Amino acid sequence: MNLAKSSYINEVSEGEKPRSIKLTKWRPYLLIAPAIIVFLVFFIQPIFYMIYLSFHEWNFISPDKTFVGLENFIVLLSDPMFLQVIRNTLMYTFFTVLLSISIALLMSIWLNRQGWMYSFVQGAVFSPHIISLVSIAMLWMWIMDADYGLLNWVLSLVGINKVPWLTEPNIALASLIIIAVWKNIGYYTLIIIAGLQSIPKHLYEAAALDQTSGIRRFTKITFPMLSPSLFFLTIIGILDSIKVFETISIITKGGPLNSTNTLVYYIYENGFIFFKIGYASAAGVILLVILGILTLIYFKALSKRVHYQ
Amino acid sequence: MTKIQLKNVSKAYGNSKKVIDNMNLEIRDGSFTVLVGPSGCGKSTTLRMIAGLEEVTSGEIWIGDQLVNEVAPGKRGISMVFQNYALYPTMTVRGNIEFGLENMKIPKVERKKMVEEIAEIVDLTEFLDKRPQNLSGGQRQRVALARAMVKKPKVFIFDEPLSNLDAKLRGQMRTELIQLHKRLGTTFIYVTHDQVEAMSMGDEIVILDKGNIMQQAAPMEVYHNPENQFAAKFIGIPAMNVLPIAMLERNIGKMTDGRIFHVGFRPEHAEIQTAKQTTSGVHLPCEIMTMETLGSETLYLVNSDAGQFQVKSFHNPLMNTKKVHVTIPFDKLYFFDTQGNRVYTDGLPFEWRDEKVREEVLV
Amino acid sequence: MKTSLPLRLLNVIGLIIVVAIFAMPFIWMISTSLKTLGETMIFPPKWIPDEPIWQNFMDAWNSGPFLQYFINSVIVSVGILIFQFITVIPAAYAFARYEFRFKNALFGLVMVTMMIPAQLIFLPVFLNLSEWGILDTLWGLILPFATSAFGIFMLRQTFKQVPEELLEAARLDNSTDLKIMMKIMVPMAKPTLITLGLFNFITHWNDYFWPLVMTTTEKARTLPVGIAQLRQVDGGVAWNILMAGNVILVIPILIIFFFAQRHIIRAFTYTGVK
Repeated sequence: MNLAKSSYINEVSEGEKPRSIKLTKWRPYLLIAPAIIVFLVFFIQPIFYMIYLSFHEWNFISPDKTFVGLENFIVLLSDPMFLQVIRNTLMYTFFTVLLSISIALLMSIWLNRQGWMYSFVQGAVFSPHIISLVSIAMLWMWIMDADYGLLNWVLSLVGINKVPWLTEPNIALASLIIIAVWKNIGYYTLIIIAGLQSIPKHLYEAAALDQTSGIRRFTKITFPMLSPSLFFLTIIGILDSIKVFETISIITKGGPLNSTNTLVYYIYENGFIFFKIGYASAAGVILLVILGILTLIYFKALSKRVHYQ
Repeated sequence: MTKIQLKNVSKAYGNSKKVIDNMNLEIRDGSFTVLVGPSGCGKSTTLRMIAGLEEVTSGEIWIGDQLVNEVAPGKRGISMVFQNYALYPTMTVRGNIEFGLENMKIPKVERKKMVEEIAEIVDLTEFLDKRPQNLSGGQRQRVALARAMVKKPKVFIFDEPLSNLDAKLRGQMRTELIQLHKRLGTTFIYVTHDQVEAMSMGDEIVILDKGNIMQQAAPMEVYHNPENQFAAKFIGIPAMNVLPIAMLERNIGKMTDGRIFHVGFRPEHAEIQTAKQTTSGVHLPCEIMTMETLGSETLYLVNSDAGQFQVKSFHNPLMNTKKVHVTIPFDKLYFFDTQGNRVYTDGLPFEWRDEKVREEVLV
Repeated sequence: MKTSLPLRLLNVIGLIIVVAIFAMPFIWMISTSLKTLGETMIFPPKWIPDEPIWQNFMDAWNSGPFLQYFINSVIVSVGILIFQFITVIPAAYAFARYEFRFKNALFGLVMVTMMIPAQLIFLPVFLNLSEWGILDTLWGLILPFATSAFGIFMLRQTFKQVPEELLEAARLDNSTDLKIMMKIMVPMAKPTLITLGLFNFITHWNDYFWPLVMTTTEKARTLPVGIAQLRQVDGGVAWNILMAGNVILVIPILIIFFFAQRHIIRAFTYTGVK
């Protein structure tokens, strides 16, 4: 060891009063500033602006906005068309979430296994989730084509006559739900599989020693242990479904006979096609309230549940 | 001159109790000073305050002739080796060693030379382009050392650097660190909870308890001349036996010094025999409770009417006896007061129980 | 305990059916994209066209300024990615490693923002953008997504897991905060950053809603909007051309998915798996 050579003294500069001390105090604020500014400008301000607009009447072109108080809300809530929109949205959300979770639960128990075969199937099932909704909408529009569509062909193989999937008011909403479920299942399945895999093995070993039956094993161990995942999926599913827009905009445009018109599409229609800005904003405020309640429930449960720090 | 001084240093987290209370400590230039104590004694906090990783609540820290309270850790001329090595996992060994030099704005050519030089010293040349994850524990330790050494610091700081190594490697590294210190002649500050490390490595030991310095001295000085019961019990394996004086008075006579509350003696200083000895000292008839044979030595736990204590013997183990006699030479007794502080006496601080014993002593 | 052969066979058949349900539509899409218009109007349908019509792709591509759309899509997706890294990394670092006043309140703001979908605020943002004169520009498609609450949340978790000792070692190595962030934290968070990047790229590459709402002319439109407009080509629907357009849109994503399946699945399931 030869440390004599190239030896130098690390000079500690005299009384280097850290000029950065003042800066250090501000540094965290500087670091978060860009993000916070974007949030304030593009997310928080618009919320308040929307609430403001909901009390006004404005057609976007004229320079002044007329204050109309609660009129927009009154008109909105007494409009049978809007009530139908709300009903459609709730139906769509309820059935999409219910079907997605139920089917995904069964699929995940089935597919939660090792091996290339299962991971391939999992990947295949998941793939619709990363495809643009534009493609999914157009693809299914074609598949559900009453005359030449793939779906009616498959059904004809088992002797079912052609179904007008997208043109019959009683069926169209259900068709959109089928598309949404098809898209969602892979995502839901993978989340539930992750939930299943996080259940400690020793619980099942203990149950096996106690001679627990398969059904009881599911109801007493699997399901309770999965409930956090299922709860998360329910909330995410609702948040996701309630804002459905793409499939409606591309496939049905809210029709036929308003039977597939949902909240976001309704806001879009009123704001961008009819230029009823105040009216559309009022509908937006109603969506805000719904989302707010869901978010509150979600965070309440989240803070109660996991170590979320 | 890089002695380190802590002047009236205190440290408290938030409003809670002080972890370090008004500490005054001077670490000699070029010394290998070991801060040792049980967990929670404040040794790591002291170390981190010297390094600048923790701010002092009050008091001053001087490195050499510079007050460093406000100096950033990187500017104190200190290198630190961490318990978990704290190697940057995303950099190669070279990157790890070079990082500090880079920040010191040392030109690239010189940097390269320094890294290669140090790698040779710690025998890492062939691993320079590997990542720390691919090295063994001992190699990682050497990378950590190289990273510390390459900066040519005025002070090296070690925070329990050997506790993650297995026993064999630990012994080896201990020797290497001692040699390193000899060669560099730089001030080393070393924190450990392991008294064996403290004894074997340091040329100065600082024993800490609950944020206070219990004793600062050379290892053998602490062993032979502990200033208090804590230091006495902390250094030495097994720990010093400390018995209440009241129970011993029956055997050795009444205390003449009122300050004395406990008496202590080291297990290895007690003689254990089957028959009563005539050598001068405290004689205690005992019963062997347990016996651990360790090859060169035997460890007994014995019971006497003065209480239970341990005896370490280098003779062959006493296999077939239960009743034994233990003799502790008078000059190996340590006396402590009610606070646990050492009481120094002129001569033996007790009256003879009877003349017979006294005669024995005088023979 | 081995499962009997018939049961195993049944299981495999089941798996094949499942794959069919999810893969068939895509095969159907590709098949259609290679048919003549006449071949799309046959019932029962034909799976394999007599002769693949590659011209369909050219027709789809040439039916609008698709090069422009494609370039726009790339600029928007990549632009958002770059902006997000610039804003998300420092913010996540600050939230993970600094103590400062209003930290919890500000982080609460981030969490709230995470729950605000574009579909809720598009109308007021549209009005704002038009006021600022950046409606129908690529800025209007990029800036609102110049940061990501989800990204901050996720990266903060990762940064928090970096052992404190590493940062202390770096401080003793006289490293500046910026350098600690860029040289130690960011490389250690590489998996998370890849995950985030993939998630954002795919999300914004696919996005239809925002560019539809925020553009009024061709010049700022992106690929999904352009593809969706193929439908409005004169008269009946030319499914073969339409599907050809969608193949163009889907293929890049499927290729990425093929090569980075593990990362992508992690990216999209992150919040749920935690």
